[in-house]
Amino acid sequence: MATTTEAPRQTLFLRNATGLVKAWSTFDAFLYAFWSVNLVTLGLYGMSFVYAIPDGQLLGAVLLTGVLVTFLVITYAQLVSVMPRAGGDYAWQSRILGGGIGFVLAITGWWFTLWLWTPIYANILVLQFFAPLAYTLGWTGVATFFTSPNGIFVSCLIVLAFVSGVITLGMEGYAKIQRFCFWLGLGGLIVMVGLLLFSSHQAFVDAFNREAGQLFGASGNAYQATLDVAKKGGTSGVTFGTFGFTSTVLLLPFLAFYLLWPVWGATLYGEVRGAKEYRKVFNAMFWGLWVTVALVAVVILLILKTIGWDFYYAANAAYWNSVAGGAAPIVATWPYPVMFAGWLVGNHLFQALLIAVMGLWFFGWAGTLFLSSTRVIFAAAFDRVLPEWAANISAKRRVPYGSLILMIVPSIVVSALFAYQARFQVIFLDATAVIAVTFLGTVIAAAILPWRRADIYKNSPIARWRVAGIPVITVTGVISAIFLAFMIVEWSLNTVYGTAFTTNVLPLQYFAVTYLAAIAIYVVARVVRKRQGIDLARIHQEIPVE
Amino acid sequence: MRVFYATDLHGSEVCWRKFINAAKFYNADVLICGGDMTGKAMIPIVEDGDSYELTLAGVSQRVSRDEVAEVESQVQRKGYYPVRMTSAQVAELEKDPQKVQTLFTEQMCKTVERWMQLAAEKLKDSKVRVFVAPGNDDEMEIDEVIANAPRVELAEGKTIDIGGYEMISSGWANPTPWHTYREAPEEELTRRMEPMLRDIKDMSRAIFNFHPPPYGTSLDEAPALDENLKPLHGGRVLRHVGSTAVRGAIDKYQPMLSLHGHIHEGKGIARLGKTLAINPGSAYEEGMLLASIIELDQKKGIKNYQLVNG
Repeated sequence: MATTTEAPRQTLFLRNATGLVKAWSTFDAFLYAFWSVNLVTLGLYGMSFVYAIPDGQLLGAVLLTGVLVTFLVITYAQLVSVMPRAGGDYAWQSRILGGGIGFVLAITGWWFTLWLWTPIYANILVLQFFAPLAYTLGWTGVATFFTSPNGIFVSCLIVLAFVSGVITLGMEGYAKIQRFCFWLGLGGLIVMVGLLLFSSHQAFVDAFNREAGQLFGASGNAYQATLDVAKKGGTSGVTFGTFGFTSTVLLLPFLAFYLLWPVWGATLYGEVRGAKEYRKVFNAMFWGLWVTVALVAVVILLILKTIGWDFYYAANAAYWNSVAGGAAPIVATWPYPVMFAGWLVGNHLFQALLIAVMGLWFFGWAGTLFLSSTRVIFAAAFDRVLPEWAANISAKRRVPYGSLILMIVPSIVVSALFAYQARFQVIFLDATAVIAVTFLGTVIAAAILPWRRADIYKNSPIARWRVAGIPVITVTGVISAIFLAFMIVEWSLNTVYGTAFTTNVLPLQYFAVTYLAAIAIYVVARVVRKRQGIDLARIHQEIPVE
Repeated sequence: MRVFYATDLHGSEVCWRKFINAAKFYNADVLICGGDMTGKAMIPIVEDGDSYELTLAGVSQRVSRDEVAEVESQVQRKGYYPVRMTSAQVAELEKDPQKVQTLFTEQMCKTVERWMQLAAEKLKDSKVRVFVAPGNDDEMEIDEVIANAPRVELAEGKTIDIGGYEMISSGWANPTPWHTYREAPEEELTRRMEPMLRDIKDMSRAIFNFHPPPYGTSLDEAPALDENLKPLHGGRVLRHVGSTAVRGAIDKYQPMLSLHGHIHEGKGIARLGKTLAINPGSAYEEGMLLASIIELDQKKGIKNYQLVNG
């Protein structure tokens, strides 16, 4: 058939027509992907759990995760290129796999599971902002309040108020705030990196001992005491050079907590004219991922050099063991690397300022928590699967109150469970896994797209891309599916992540209920709409062309 | 009575065929095309000896004489106009925007004429009524082509009775940054609507078929652009770009149903008092016909509605 030549020799002629916009800035889209794989908030928090697999090589695992998530990025960028309309996972799965599967997977991932992320965000806000800031300023009472159940719940309410405020005020103002947070937050990160780079290990040990005494009342060699506490809990002698292949691979599910999300904004790309430009979408997600991976590598190497690898693992182990009921750590707060770096300057005002500036990594990121969820709820309401009011927007302030109610009210309930019912906290560990299941549905849809929706695929710019005769979207979709399936199996069965169904059936019960609820909503919608004369099956039925 | 409404086909051959076939597929009694039927781009297919060259989706291709018809069909699927020409003719067009405009008009009229013939053939034994009200992107010349079509009725500026419901239509839009063919200030849009609005006997059974969506709803949100037509903040920031005149007419007269297009990303529905306003959106580049099916009942008015991706 047709042969492809190197460079385009002829152009096309355009006329005056609505929507012929110029290409959008890749940097702006990069910014969204970069925030989604947030190095500081999600990254430092997520990596604080890797002490559980001490013989895994963290840097190697970060790079391996980056490579595997790149296949996910390629798959999503191709889907955006083929079907750029709003809805993302929901629209793609519905059109390729069918309306029922699309609804159940997308709604559980983007609606029900996002409730769980509220207390996770709130916990990060406490650990990285309220508690270290309060301790540094000597407000111990405030710090201990925020680590109490009431404090955690208040933090949840603060997150919800912030998120609702962003949705109510609109993205235009928040996008500007995000830019401000990005540049100032990056400045804070450079200061942190500089402090760790130009300080010796001994300087850190001295600074740690000094501040542990001044801020937390520790006496003597607090650095060594932290190592000793961790040793009693079973963590000691961890070296950076230790490399067990299997253990390294087992770190991937931990790292997915932050590195899995460069495609988070895919539900929004439908609103972007010109999204068919595959390269732009790909570049935004790819660089969002790999700039983060590069920064993580720098931070890891600086922790190794200045803080000490064994100590990093020990401090995290000591803290999380204490949360689980073990011995109290020497420093009674989460071992925040930013706070540690600040301690290299013996000035509490500077330390507080650094923590506050690095808090912008939270505030520039958290505002979009429910943005994708509201889009998916809108799409489901327009498909008449959810009631019409779910997509309602108030006439005066343009607030999507229907979808906000569907997000916020359940989020308050799960936040209360998180704050006041410790046994439910295991459920929250699975928040990543359920979205991974949704992603799995999407990559499977992508893999079979060339056959299931051959009409759309053949008409897309990616139709020419093949590897050994197999469509590239199928190849990357299958690789991504294997990667996601591996992690889902590990989360489900391996006790190291705290999520194994074999040790605690509560998460299994919770998620079974959410999936069953999604199925029930869909079935009820089918029945109710049928009575109203609406056949939901025909939403995605293709009209014959000939 | 079942109404099938789609809009913003933008030259997509596949979407027009689906639009016509929707009558049988959905058992529709009335088909309404809300405007912007014509394509935005023309692709030169340049003759070079025994082969042809073209650039589609950013990739240059060389095809043989036997393959050129297939490639033209691919171009039409996307909503573009394939035009065979020599490289000298391409160079000439590049130098003369007026010639480009003339060629565009010719291609548009030719395509719309072919579409009208297709409708006549497909619907020759059918009682389905088909209406088209050209949108702001459609040049004036196509009105005559539609007006002369045997099975398609030109709805622009008319009050039409469809099964006991009165429909008024206009493809004119409030000003856009692209200075298209049927744009006017809001005050003029109101003046254009007034005679039609006066004709309506019962607003509770009225259908507005206005191409631009009402301002300040979820139907009129488009990516915010800077002065160079570049989307701001990666296209994530949306602004209302609908018509205040259309919004004013809906708020004042409260028709039963209001059909809109124009903003492809604005897929959805909005309740404005007693009015159900619908914008089915558009995904013409994918060859997917986004549309709305509205079931009208003599007693209830709107019995139900559904947005479909046909």
